[in-house]
Amino acid sequence: MVSRRTYLRGLLGAAVAIVLAPFVNLVAFFYRSDEASAQRQKIANLKELTPGTAVYFAYPKTGDPKIDNDPFRQYVLVMTNEGDLRVYSRVCVHLWCLPTYLPQKGALICPCHGTIYRENDGVAIEGPGAYQPYPTNALPMGVIEVDTNGDIWLVGIEGRIGYGREWQRIAPKDLVKRV
Amino acid sequence: MSGTAKNLREVFDSLWKWTVDRLERTTIVVYKFTVPKMYVSPFGYLGTLTAIVFAILGVSGAFLMFYYRPDVELAYLSVREIQEQIPFGFVMRNIHYHASNLMVLLAILHLYYQYFSGRYKIKNEVLWVTGVILGILTILEAYTGYNLIMNQRAMLAVNIGMGLTYSAPVLGPSLAPVFLGGGLFDLVVRFYALHVFILPLLMLLLAVVHFPRALVIDLPVISSVVGVIFIVGGLFPIELGVKFDPTQGLVEVPEWYLTAIYAFLRTGTERFTAGALLPLLFVILFLIIPFVDKSKKLSWRDRPFFTALGVASIVLIVVTTVWGFYVDFSKETPFEQLYIEPTLFYGSIGVMTLASFFVTYRYFGRQRHTVRPTPPRPIILSPRDSTLLMVVLLAFIVTTVAASFYTYTLSLPNHSMFWLGVAFMFLGLLLHVYRHHVNVEQRTRPAQVAEKAAA
Repeated sequence: MVSRRTYLRGLLGAAVAIVLAPFVNLVAFFYRSDEASAQRQKIANLKELTPGTAVYFAYPKTGDPKIDNDPFRQYVLVMTNEGDLRVYSRVCVHLWCLPTYLPQKGALICPCHGTIYRENDGVAIEGPGAYQPYPTNALPMGVIEVDTNGDIWLVGIEGRIGYGREWQRIAPKDLVKRV
Repeated sequence: MSGTAKNLREVFDSLWKWTVDRLERTTIVVYKFTVPKMYVSPFGYLGTLTAIVFAILGVSGAFLMFYYRPDVELAYLSVREIQEQIPFGFVMRNIHYHASNLMVLLAILHLYYQYFSGRYKIKNEVLWVTGVILGILTILEAYTGYNLIMNQRAMLAVNIGMGLTYSAPVLGPSLAPVFLGGGLFDLVVRFYALHVFILPLLMLLLAVVHFPRALVIDLPVISSVVGVIFIVGGLFPIELGVKFDPTQGLVEVPEWYLTAIYAFLRTGTERFTAGALLPLLFVILFLIIPFVDKSKKLSWRDRPFFTALGVASIVLIVVTTVWGFYVDFSKETPFEQLYIEPTLFYGSIGVMTLASFFVTYRYFGRQRHTVRPTPPRPIILSPRDSTLLMVVLLAFIVTTVAASFYTYTLSLPNHSMFWLGVAFMFLGLLLHVYRHHVNVEQRTRPAQVAEKAAA
């Protein structure tokens, strides 16, 4: 038998809980919506690319130069020497410098401490980045779609920018879709 | 004329009394402010000194807020403007920086003094635990502060901090973006919010619980502490560093209170274990001390085990900090210069820590009943001598402040700070001699009165 007092306390508790319920997802405040949901952005067209070329761009692009110039929004689209398409975050997983693509080496090379990332999967094979434990030894990758017109769209990011990617979990070629 | 002065004094006295009467309705009467009548060891009130330095940080920080811009591009430029263009900007920034270092240092000294004197016992557990948390918040406050400059050194620290947060199991991946936001343009604003509002607010709230009711306000020592900040600021003026540039690699070492963690990370050991779990274990050790050491004994002489543990922890901090500063410039690349051989690192800290523990334990295990050394005989100055000394000190103060003014006009702000610091030290000494003078006078007055009566 529930006493009258216990019943009323339960009622009070329920009232407080219901009033506070709308704040359950308050934590969403801390995440930008463009980070949370993948944004479709056109990067380039297949016609513009030949094996061993790179296109540098900002993602998600906002039009605000300050935000678009932020290192954490810098990406590179690479057509590898084998002709595969890859998109990488440009933030080196070592100390956040911005690597550039060197087609003759088939790699992305960091200007600061010389980490070398393979063009095919973005895994560091030389330099300080290579000494970091899995999964902090690979660049985050973009998920891309290539449509029938040859337009290349970036639709999402796999990995944590400035940190790494679980590259043994998803093969790089699975991040490129033909639609 | 003297009548007016007397009336004025009466007005001030009654105004003072009126105010004090009304303050009794407020919480301020909870605190018992003690202005010691004679020199007492500052070790006993290092906590109050830490709080005073915190207040200095609040004031100097408020000044800096008038010009600082929490913006990824403008932050560095605005700090440079403060440093080079704004009148007193150099001084304010140096006070703020060196006071932050001093606050961390005082907090650590405070912790160890309380530890070795067993002050965490006897209903002081809440004081102790809040103190340890305040210590961590102090380091976080200092960390978020020196990152606001957005120079290469700041970005190294941000990089390490974010890496550690990301590598935390379960929570890490969702916790890191809370600080990082959409990129560095968000990060700088969030760190700014943490630094100027959220963390200080938490610290103030915790301080309400942490403060004991009796607070010692010792003016000579406070003046000297201010003097130390100015002198160190003058001798080692804080530099701007190199603006963060993601195409330039530099060998940088973080602030001294973080180099210990940095040393762990440089061994290449798994990041979260090295940089977060091991320091966390260290913090937990301090948090649980009052619940482990249940004896009623307070003195470090009577607690050889905990004394040895404390000494070993100091050795651990010192050895890892020294490792953190170690850079092998004989190597070619920055990465090789910073790499620390794990076996050598863990071996050295293991051996040193254990050795210091056992040596201390054995030593104090045997010497439990040492006789306290007799304190040195106090120097007693006659009122005439102390007056003379005060005049000399005043002359020194006038000279050093004049030197400070002069060097400021020569655009040598660090020299100016140094001389002002020396002036503050002399002021502390002057306050001390003044107190001594008053004490001696009070002690000899009854004798003089008796002599006069006898004559």
